[in-house]
Amino acid sequence: MTRVALLFAAAALTAGFGIPARAQDTPPGDAAAGKRIYLTTGCHYCHGSAGQGGAYNSVAPSLAKTAMPFVGFKFQLRTPGGDMPAYVEAVMPDQQVADIYAFLQALPGRREAKDIPILND
Amino acid sequence: MPKRRNDSPTLGRRNFLKGAGLVGAAALTPAAAQAQAVAPKANLKAAVPGPAQLAADTHAPTRESVTQSSSGGDFMVDVFKSLDIDYLAMNCASSFRGLHEAVINHGKNKKPEILTCPHEEIAVHMGQGYAKIAGKPLAMICHGVVGLQHATMAMYNAWCDRVPVIVFGGNIVEADKRAPGAEWVHSAIDPGAIVRDFVKWDDQPTSLQHFAESFVRAYKIAVTPPMGPVFISLDAELQENPIRDAETLRIPKLATVIPPQADSGSIAELARMLVAAENPVIICDRLARTPAGMTRLIELAETLQCAVVDNAGRMNFPSRHPLNQSFRRGQLIGQADVILAIEMNELWGSLNAFSDRIVRTNRPITKKDAKIVTLGTRDLYQKSNYQDFGRYQEVDHAIAGDGEASLPALTEAVKRLVDAGRKSALEARGKRFAAARLAMIEQAKSDATLGWDSSPITTGRLCAEVWAQIKDEDWSLVGNGIRITWPHRLWKFDKPYQWNGGSGGAGVGYNTPASLGAALANKQHGRLTLNFNGDGDMMFVPSTLWTAAHHRIPMLYIVHNNRAYHQEVMYLQAMANRRGRGIDDVKIGTTITDPNVDYATVARGFGVYGEGPITDPKDLGPALKRAIAVVKRGEPALIDVVTDPR
Repeated sequence: MTRVALLFAAAALTAGFGIPARAQDTPPGDAAAGKRIYLTTGCHYCHGSAGQGGAYNSVAPSLAKTAMPFVGFKFQLRTPGGDMPAYVEAVMPDQQVADIYAFLQALPGRREAKDIPILND
Repeated sequence: MPKRRNDSPTLGRRNFLKGAGLVGAAALTPAAAQAQAVAPKANLKAAVPGPAQLAADTHAPTRESVTQSSSGGDFMVDVFKSLDIDYLAMNCASSFRGLHEAVINHGKNKKPEILTCPHEEIAVHMGQGYAKIAGKPLAMICHGVVGLQHATMAMYNAWCDRVPVIVFGGNIVEADKRAPGAEWVHSAIDPGAIVRDFVKWDDQPTSLQHFAESFVRAYKIAVTPPMGPVFISLDAELQENPIRDAETLRIPKLATVIPPQADSGSIAELARMLVAAENPVIICDRLARTPAGMTRLIELAETLQCAVVDNAGRMNFPSRHPLNQSFRRGQLIGQADVILAIEMNELWGSLNAFSDRIVRTNRPITKKDAKIVTLGTRDLYQKSNYQDFGRYQEVDHAIAGDGEASLPALTEAVKRLVDAGRKSALEARGKRFAAARLAMIEQAKSDATLGWDSSPITTGRLCAEVWAQIKDEDWSLVGNGIRITWPHRLWKFDKPYQWNGGSGGAGVGYNTPASLGAALANKQHGRLTLNFNGDGDMMFVPSTLWTAAHHRIPMLYIVHNNRAYHQEVMYLQAMANRRGRGIDDVKIGTTITDPNVDYATVARGFGVYGEGPITDPKDLGPALKRAIAVVKRGEPALIDVVTDPR
């Protein structure tokens, strides 16, 4: 696994433990626009419509309420680790990246598994 | 499919000289015939009959026999029965009508019982799925040319999956026996040529005794590890005509090969390495050949208290066993000082990272000084053309021997080396793994909550809902969508029949029919058989559903309907992004939309209970309950669930 992929995976793992993204590094984004872009530019193909994660050639981490800082998130999009496709600026301008990031932060994220009866077998 | 003309002359060898004589006589008389045709009427007077005419007029005419009291096909059925072949899957065809009729009337459609399949790929794949649950092969038969061409991809899957399927192909060997038309285009001098690269053995018997010996030999070869499909071409004349040498025919005795146990010295050395290692890892793929396989691996792993990474080519290891560390594979393989790879097909892929970039790169994920040992039968039989053996992996020791057969000796050797002090250290290691396993299960449950109420339905929610309905049943999951790991993350697999691996060759179109074959094997045990069936896979041979209904095979199909050949969507996305073009058009040629397929309606059209498309996760539980009730009545059912891609 490459350095960036490790960064992404680590962020995905910590996402469930409530480590917040650094708000001061995050440009403003439009979550509604971000949802549209997320679904039309294929992010959901690997990472799921609800940012729940999925798989491509290997595991694609969950992104809902990602704890990855925006700069790391954008770096991963532009020069991704693993086999993730690169989203260059000509394809996805910085503002769209910010919008997607806002959308991911607005997603419901995890629930307590113990609150869902069928997950308690 | 064209049938043989029933008015075509079928002269046997015994009639050849007589026929030739008649033709010769005709050839000698054209002048006389012409003379008669032009003779004046006045000359048409009754002549005094000669001796030949007299005989023809006064004796009963000589006619070809139109019935027979024995047939080669009957003897062939007797060989099937001797081998305890339960089923003969087929799409009917004239080149094996002789055997087909014999199975029905001589064999009374029992051992083998005919399975009617609308496509040869269904028949072979049913055999693949069946063998992995039943522990023995079934047979299929097809036209040796066009039917075999349909069957080939499924045979390749079985080959890659190391599964025995006995494939027969009808043929008309002798050119002068073929009727004009279809019988010529459906015949070949070497039908096995197109499958020889991915069968273990093939033959074209020329006598019934030859057939009996070939069939028994084929069976023996197919079930000898590494197992695989075999092919026998069946001459139509041999099937159809009377038995000429009944008094000398005999069916040979079958003695299957006892799978070889690894060399005792190698086992002792391997045991020493494993016991001395600080971080040994066992990695396996198609280890469990019989129900004993899982038990044996558990005993070895628990004796060593070492991590097991299960590639899930078979039901090798319980999913919730504390030592099952399959979802930490990268980390553990990277730390391992000894790696024992048992019945792995493509080990390189598990020990190396590979980057699918413009310049494809790779690197080992193992430590430089890690000792790698292979144990299995894979090295004993390889072919060269198709590259299913994967990249060459350097190892320190390659031990030949059947993995499952060799495990008891290895475990005993390990036990002899584990003294009290070492046992204590191993137990401490085991406790760490147990804690990690529990954490993985909790993580999986937490991950499954993401997008819990979303539509399209997440695959995590889908698998959780299914588990809730089946966990108290005697269930068997026999197929899964591509890269869907949820069942093995969330469910408790702990019985040998609860999983049977994948396609082997990654040939799409496996899941629908192979799952049905597995369900057929489970039927006699009353198990609840289910699969997650990718929509792309189901589009290849949806007519499998008719076979399910026709033969009353209880099976729950849960269509993982992401309305795409989704892996290809992502590949196109990768290509388009690599070229900086955006992904707007990657749906072209990769998606199954416009129109969306209504699989529940498709199912009902084939006589199968169908529900869906289900888009609201709240509807899943009730729909599953209803479908499971149908399956428990002994019928197939299908639930179409519109899901997120992965």
